[in-house]
Amino acid sequence: MLRSLQRGIPHYRTIAAKGCAMIARMRVAVVVLLSVLLGTAVFAELRYLERNLLRADPDALPANASLLRFAVSRGEALFAAHCAVCHGLSGSGDPSTGTPDLTDRDWLYGAGRVTDIEKVIDYGIRSHNSRAWNLAIMPAYARPRPNPSDKNIQPLSPSDISDLIEFLMRRQARRADSDSDSDSDSDSDSDAASRGAALFAGPAGCYDCHSLDAKGDSAIGAPNLTDGITLYGDGSRNALFMSIAYGRQGVCPAWATRLKPAGIPELALYVYSLSHPGAIQHAH
Amino acid sequence: MLTDPKPDAPSWRSPSQINNARSFVLMSCGVLLGLVLAGYSLFTARSASTLIVPAEDVALVNQQPVSRADFTALLQTLYGVDWSHATKEQRRKVLQDMIREELFVQRGKELDVASTDPDVRGALVNAVELEIAENAITTQPSEAALRRYYAAHQDRYVSEGIMRVKDWVFPAASLAQLPSAAGALKSAIRDPQALARLDGRDSGRTKGDEFYFAAKIHLGDELFAGARDLSEGAISAPIRMADGIHVLEMEKNRHPVPFDFAAARAQVSTDYRNQAIERSKAGGESFLRKRANVLVADDLR
Repeated sequence: MLRSLQRGIPHYRTIAAKGCAMIARMRVAVVVLLSVLLGTAVFAELRYLERNLLRADPDALPANASLLRFAVSRGEALFAAHCAVCHGLSGSGDPSTGTPDLTDRDWLYGAGRVTDIEKVIDYGIRSHNSRAWNLAIMPAYARPRPNPSDKNIQPLSPSDISDLIEFLMRRQARRADSDSDSDSDSDSDSDAASRGAALFAGPAGCYDCHSLDAKGDSAIGAPNLTDGITLYGDGSRNALFMSIAYGRQGVCPAWATRLKPAGIPELALYVYSLSHPGAIQHAH
Repeated sequence: MLTDPKPDAPSWRSPSQINNARSFVLMSCGVLLGLVLAGYSLFTARSASTLIVPAEDVALVNQQPVSRADFTALLQTLYGVDWSHATKEQRRKVLQDMIREELFVQRGKELDVASTDPDVRGALVNAVELEIAENAITTQPSEAALRRYYAAHQDRYVSEGIMRVKDWVFPAASLAQLPSAAGALKSAIRDPQALARLDGRDSGRTKGDEFYFAAKIHLGDELFAGARDLSEGAISAPIRMADGIHVLEMEKNRHPVPFDFAAARAQVSTDYRNQAIERSKAGGESFLRKRANVLVADDLR
């Protein structure tokens, strides 16, 4: 009888062991639950920030410190994965390949606003995308057909190209002189420069893209030829000859379909922050 | 007489006790529910729909998104204003335009406009080509790949030759009087009296320095072939042509020079990418042809 009673009542050690196991299981369950809650909260926060990033006015984003911080931190990784191969990790570009410096404020396309940068990232430059920036190319004036898509552009002779180079060198020298408040004149051949100016504004058709004052047109990506910032090469006569004689047509791929939607503003803000380090410091 | 009570069957209400009947009923309910849901989905086949417009879009038209980036771009194009400076009316107008466009695009798909409109067909072909070539367009080739391409196509990357050549032309009758020795011929050309005596003159076909292609156009193929290999200061043998005897005097001749990789890199990169794009397009076309069932009319087989 007693034996059968004893069989029905668990030993206190068994009860204690079961209790410990239960507590351990509960601890694990609580940890798992908290982890899931934390993960969900982080995910929700990220989704919230992404949503705000996508819905905000792109040009107003630099003034929004929290979104700017968020976007720049994520944009940096995207830049390293997709853009650094050409622009370099620091974004300073490479004149030997005609890759623009993204850390200065000299914008080839648009005015450097976040929407302008987004457009380049979305659709690219001469990227075969119908919405890409592809209105103009630099013709190869030493080839029989300088611009295959524009029959009106005629080739130039070597001396014409030399005159144009003289004109451009003189424009840049003048700019440098005026910047340094110096009255000294360039020693370049003024006759050649005059002929070059006439060619620039006339038969060579340079004015059509670079405008009559040679200050370029960011609406079509025509660089300013007077500011001393050169996209290709070191600005020497030889580099200018190569550009005029053999043409240029840099390419930037379109990323609209390659990145997730929030990736575009993230990348655009990171690129913006490269030339506006103050904005990101302020955000931090 | 007391009988042993029948052992209690496990209650189906107690979750701590195993109950076969309960398990069977719950499993059957689950199966039934699954079948009902599957049947409903099967017979009311519709794509997943949502009532929430994704953050990257400004509208959903029959579940088709209207992109926010496109909206901003159109706002800028139409009114020259960014998002924050656009009035409510401008935003509404742009949004309505985009919704209208999307509705018409969807209707166009329903009507299969592409089968009749050549512009739509062309746009579709371009869009599909772009889609096929997307990888080739966005992938940046490695430096090693570019160098290999450059090495394989080095003949493409040469400078344009430059020449300054004078083309002296003499009447056909004076061929016998022209000195046969190059030195004497050169002296004769440089001596105005001798030149006048031979009735020679500068044809005026060339002016100053010219790129090879321009010199070829100006001189013609035959004279250019005679001029191309002349060294600076050299004079050609008399060349008989329909308009008389031509003698070419080469003043400057810079032959085409191969560009080194650094100088050619931008062009190499463009050419490499274009080749990759063409290869992708060809691959895509080949795939489409393989899976297509194309029947050609008897008379065109």
